[in-house]
Amino acid sequence: MEIDVRRIAELSKLELKEEQVEMFQKQMQNMVDMVEKMPEVAELEAPLDRNNAMILRKDEIHSSLRREDLLKNAPQVEAGCFVVPKVVE
Amino acid sequence: MEIYELSASDLAKKLRAKELSASEITKSVLSRAENTEEEVGGYVTLTSEKAMETAAKVDEKIAAGEEILPLAGIPIAVKDNICTKDLRTTASSKILSNFVPPYNATVVEKLEAQMAPIVGKTNMDEFAMGSSTETSYVKKTHNPRDLNRVPGGSSGGSAAVVAAGSATVSLGSDTGGSIRQPAAYCGVVGLKPTYGTVSRYGLIAFASSLDQIGPFGRTVTDTAMVFEAIRGRDKKDATTAARTYESLVQNLETPLPKGTRIGLPKEYFGEGVDEEVKEAVHAAAQLYEKAGMELVEISLPTTDYGLNAYYIIASAEASSNLSRFDGVKYGYRTEEYGNLEEMYCRTRSEGFGDEVKRRIMLGTFVLSSGYIDAYYKKAKAIQRGLRQEFVDAFQKVDLILTPTTPDTAFTLGERSDDPLKMYATDICTVTLNLAGLPGISVPCGMGKSGLPIGLQLISPWFEEEKLLRAARFYENEIGGFPGVASL
Repeated sequence: MEIDVRRIAELSKLELKEEQVEMFQKQMQNMVDMVEKMPEVAELEAPLDRNNAMILRKDEIHSSLRREDLLKNAPQVEAGCFVVPKVVE
Repeated sequence: MEIYELSASDLAKKLRAKELSASEITKSVLSRAENTEEEVGGYVTLTSEKAMETAAKVDEKIAAGEEILPLAGIPIAVKDNICTKDLRTTASSKILSNFVPPYNATVVEKLEAQMAPIVGKTNMDEFAMGSSTETSYVKKTHNPRDLNRVPGGSSGGSAAVVAAGSATVSLGSDTGGSIRQPAAYCGVVGLKPTYGTVSRYGLIAFASSLDQIGPFGRTVTDTAMVFEAIRGRDKKDATTAARTYESLVQNLETPLPKGTRIGLPKEYFGEGVDEEVKEAVHAAAQLYEKAGMELVEISLPTTDYGLNAYYIIASAEASSNLSRFDGVKYGYRTEEYGNLEEMYCRTRSEGFGDEVKRRIMLGTFVLSSGYIDAYYKKAKAIQRGLRQEFVDAFQKVDLILTPTTPDTAFTLGERSDDPLKMYATDICTVTLNLAGLPGISVPCGMGKSGLPIGLQLISPWFEEEKLLRAARFYENEIGGFPGVASL
């Protein structure tokens, strides 16, 4: 399967430097060539482990982290909100 | 013997006998870190002050005649993808270089409840993607057994500091071998628990269905002590199994019954595995046989496609998990941008390293319209086939024994330009993550160049006790593992 690394980068929200495109194209092609060698196998049911069940928590309201603590790591904050470039023209 | 060379179990005894104080222990380990860090480079952040404060509290408790928990006063290092409240947690990435978590991971809460002094945060491959710790944005880590060589990865820092004596035990994370492979390369013990045993709350996600936190130690008992302290159901992680656990460490000395069947899967001893590794692992198998256990040749044919399925599934999940890094909520944001789209793309392109970009792109590709059936769905089918093979194998055997890695530690830079060669070191370990199985790597002698070889033991799901008892048996038989590296 031949891949188009520019297109994949675009879908991944990544910009590749022009001088890196060739390297990534080659490496990604090798990776895809490696992983695609897989035999056809019958689809098995994913078994459920009843003895070690995973339990979802109840949909209840609990106190959590404080808003100001959560916003401390944001690059830009104003009036308790994240700031991003204008989206709507 | 210096204090920093002692095992956690010995330190725990000496603390209780008042032969050593927690402050003396932590001080010794911290000064070892100061003396070795320049050469080893295992830490991203050292937290000496906080560690000494915790140690002082342990000493107060002992002085007051109060009971202390098993890890109280035992210096521990934590991989830098495990969130620590008010302490920078970078996942060794530029994109998180300024991230200070407002909360603790559940495992960190448990260590704090134990009063284990956390000595620092350890270096790793960026976002745990790599097998040598060389993809770290922060620095290179050197293998304490041979400073020209890599410590393995991705938990290379956590393995290296335990081998160097600059931590007594540590925590790492294992998505495809990231605990077991560096344990093998650094000559220490590393345990990847059954998926769902240890809470992932606060672990920076790489591939959520495969990631599992686990311990490193220089002895099996030390590794088991940490495991016992961190496991258990957590309401904050719905994938932790709802079960109760029997106490563990006290049972490690009970030998496995005669007639225990140990499977040797032929696919793990094939081409691509170094002769010296095969010999060392076979010699270990013979020790079990001599003690009255039965060796059984088995076959797990789907293993041959384990790497393929692993890189597809892990990368697919990574591409989704890492979409949260967009320069809005936390982490790095690019300086120049005209609009939102440009901000996303530049932030991510400047913030992620090349290996992370490759995995995101591979994951995006295998999930993209037109390719998902041929790649992702096929890989999931192989994963289920592989799991079924293990279920069937464990009808015939009680434990499985393999090499941890096909080789010993390679030199820094040797494989950096060849991703596929780097991925090949995971061939014996990825299958356990795909199946959710527990596995332990223990040192199994030295190769010709004086580098440690790793032996991997695998048990059925949630049977870590059997696994650790088998590992403890081997440790005893060979008269103990290499201790702290001389540096």
